[in-house]
Amino acid sequence: MNWNLFLTELISGVTHGSVYALIALGYSMVYGILKLLNFAHGDVYMVGAFIGFGLITVFGGPTALTVNVVLLLILMFLASMLGGGLLGVMIERFAYRRLRNAPRIAPLITALGVSFFLENAALLVLGAQYQSYNSFSWKNSPIALSGFTLPAGARISYAQVVVVVGAIVLMIVLTLFVQRTQTGKAMRATSFDREAAAMMGIDVDRVIVVTFFIGSALAGAAGVFNGIAYQQIWPYMGFQAGLFAFIAAVVGGIGNLPGSVLGGLVIGLAQSFSIGYISSTFSDAIVFAILIAVLIVRPSGLLGRAAVQKV
Amino acid sequence: MSNFRRVGLIASVAALVALAMATAALARPGAVTSASASQAIACGKSVSIGMMAPITGPAASIGDDQLHWAQFYVTIWNNHHKKKGIKLNLVQGDTQLDPSKGSTVAQQFASNSKIMGVIGPASSSVVEAVAPILKKAGLAFASGSATRVSLTSGAYKGYFFRDVPNDGVQGPTDANYMMSDLGVKSGDSVMVVDDQESYSTGLADIVEAALKAKGVKVDRESVSQKATDFSSLVAKVTGSTKVVFLPFQLASQAQLFAQQMKALGKSAAVFGSDGTFDSSTFNVPGPYVSFFAPDVTTIAADRGLVKSYHLKYPGGTTPFGAPNFVLAQMYAAAIVKSCKDGKISRAEVRKNLATVSLKSTILGQPIAFDKNGDVAGAAFHIFKIQSDGSYKTVK
Repeated sequence: MNWNLFLTELISGVTHGSVYALIALGYSMVYGILKLLNFAHGDVYMVGAFIGFGLITVFGGPTALTVNVVLLLILMFLASMLGGGLLGVMIERFAYRRLRNAPRIAPLITALGVSFFLENAALLVLGAQYQSYNSFSWKNSPIALSGFTLPAGARISYAQVVVVVGAIVLMIVLTLFVQRTQTGKAMRATSFDREAAAMMGIDVDRVIVVTFFIGSALAGAAGVFNGIAYQQIWPYMGFQAGLFAFIAAVVGGIGNLPGSVLGGLVIGLAQSFSIGYISSTFSDAIVFAILIAVLIVRPSGLLGRAAVQKV
Repeated sequence: MSNFRRVGLIASVAALVALAMATAALARPGAVTSASASQAIACGKSVSIGMMAPITGPAASIGDDQLHWAQFYVTIWNNHHKKKGIKLNLVQGDTQLDPSKGSTVAQQFASNSKIMGVIGPASSSVVEAVAPILKKAGLAFASGSATRVSLTSGAYKGYFFRDVPNDGVQGPTDANYMMSDLGVKSGDSVMVVDDQESYSTGLADIVEAALKAKGVKVDRESVSQKATDFSSLVAKVTGSTKVVFLPFQLASQAQLFAQQMKALGKSAAVFGSDGTFDSSTFNVPGPYVSFFAPDVTTIAADRGLVKSYHLKYPGGTTPFGAPNFVLAQMYAAAIVKSCKDGKISRAEVRKNLATVSLKSTILGQPIAFDKNGDVAGAAFHIFKIQSDGSYKTVK
């Protein structure tokens, strides 16, 4: 067995899966509370990536950084999460709130509209060109180029380590927040039954705002993770990442947070291993085949629970 | 959190399908009435040429350059004809390198009776999408970068032209260079990775066939143009892989691939096609790049013109641009000939464009079209990326 190939695909799959999982968590959280498929979520991820790139530019650009890389990474994550979170709150306030009781198709189409709006606004403001984090060439710390050599000669870059560890930390913090805090409890109650939660004195509007903020902040962080590991960002980048993250959320069980993480990893690993062991030509087809298979065998997703229909 | 609901998903999918169908319906050929193909109109003071290029989108750096070089020629021409003669007017159409958007632009050009010919589109996939529309409208369309062989194989003879050599020249040139200069021998492996677009798959097919014919093992792979992680593919590059051939349309992807090769410690040579020729983007030291046109910034005779271009359009240029200057030049010649009787039609422009022959051009060679619409006697050039990121001609 070629262990180098196996380990490289494993690392690549887990790295990709971590990014998908972070985006998928936002899809799941919003769906869990509002039953809304927020197709603009992928574009929040794009905006987060550009916020991170903006900070790199402010601090001298990739090849002439004027600040310590660890400090830069911390600032990038804080800024992208804050920016992404605020953007999510604005989207909820101005695009979705008035449609909360409208037929489900209305907010769905609105979500697509918001997605197009964000993409084209980014095109107008930021330009059509690809931009690059170029973490292969960061002054004194080329984190995408340097890293560890594993058994069998496989390599893991510091950038991949940052992505995987960062994503795990954020997922643990999210889990603790949802399980251990008053707001997290309110979120779970609202997800279970919004009307009953309101009658019990929970400020549902506030819960929804917090949900959008957290979900979008995670997408913002995912945008920076993507830039660090895969360099390129552009105004349309949110569509494809959003699509695969949506598939991850559905495969894992949309509305279920551990399911979203599992779905992200399944999709990331499926992409990597299919490229490594089958063919890159069929990689996307294999991902969609997994989606179809899961929907046929277990429509509620790997960790989702079947909905009880009241008749 | 709450459970997945099938009804919601079905509604979502239905909405997406409806949206896609509506978009497709709007973009279908023949959706807009074309201006008459043979109708002659008075030449008047100016004649319009359509310019189809990816002015925005992922290939905007290419499209901008192409547009600017065509505009540059039109500006020079109009300055020379301020008082007497016909002025040229360039009508812009943004394809975003997307066949469906190209079709929409083609419909607009077809229905604009003032447009007598089209420069572009930039890529083979967009040419394939717009060709039926432009042919029906009787318009000539001439590309400075679409190199797929089949584009001039017959269906659009007399309508489609290009002033750059096709992949039938590029593929064998690249394969031969790998064998003669990069040490690839029978029994060695070469990885060929296409980007799933028409230009890329066509060229990859040619190179794959040429290498296999010489006993080389080919590992054929494919990635999306939106892909940014190639580590899974790079992991498949083994010690027996001598060359990784990247017929990509986007230089940024080739740069990423080469960087990831370096990060994973792979030593195979990277070889990019003309789509990756962009020293501002693809500049990792070491890879080879083939290109259909010379770099006009390195041609001594063009120095003054290039300087003027940079003054008007600061920010550099790529070799994708200059062939469009030449196409505008050829259209100008065809339009002047067509307007001798004071009238002009699309059919006349097509006929006259086919016979234009420029004895010297900024590309450093004479340009004329052969009977299929290809440029006569063209050759590909091979460059190597130097340690400072610049390109040096090696063949």
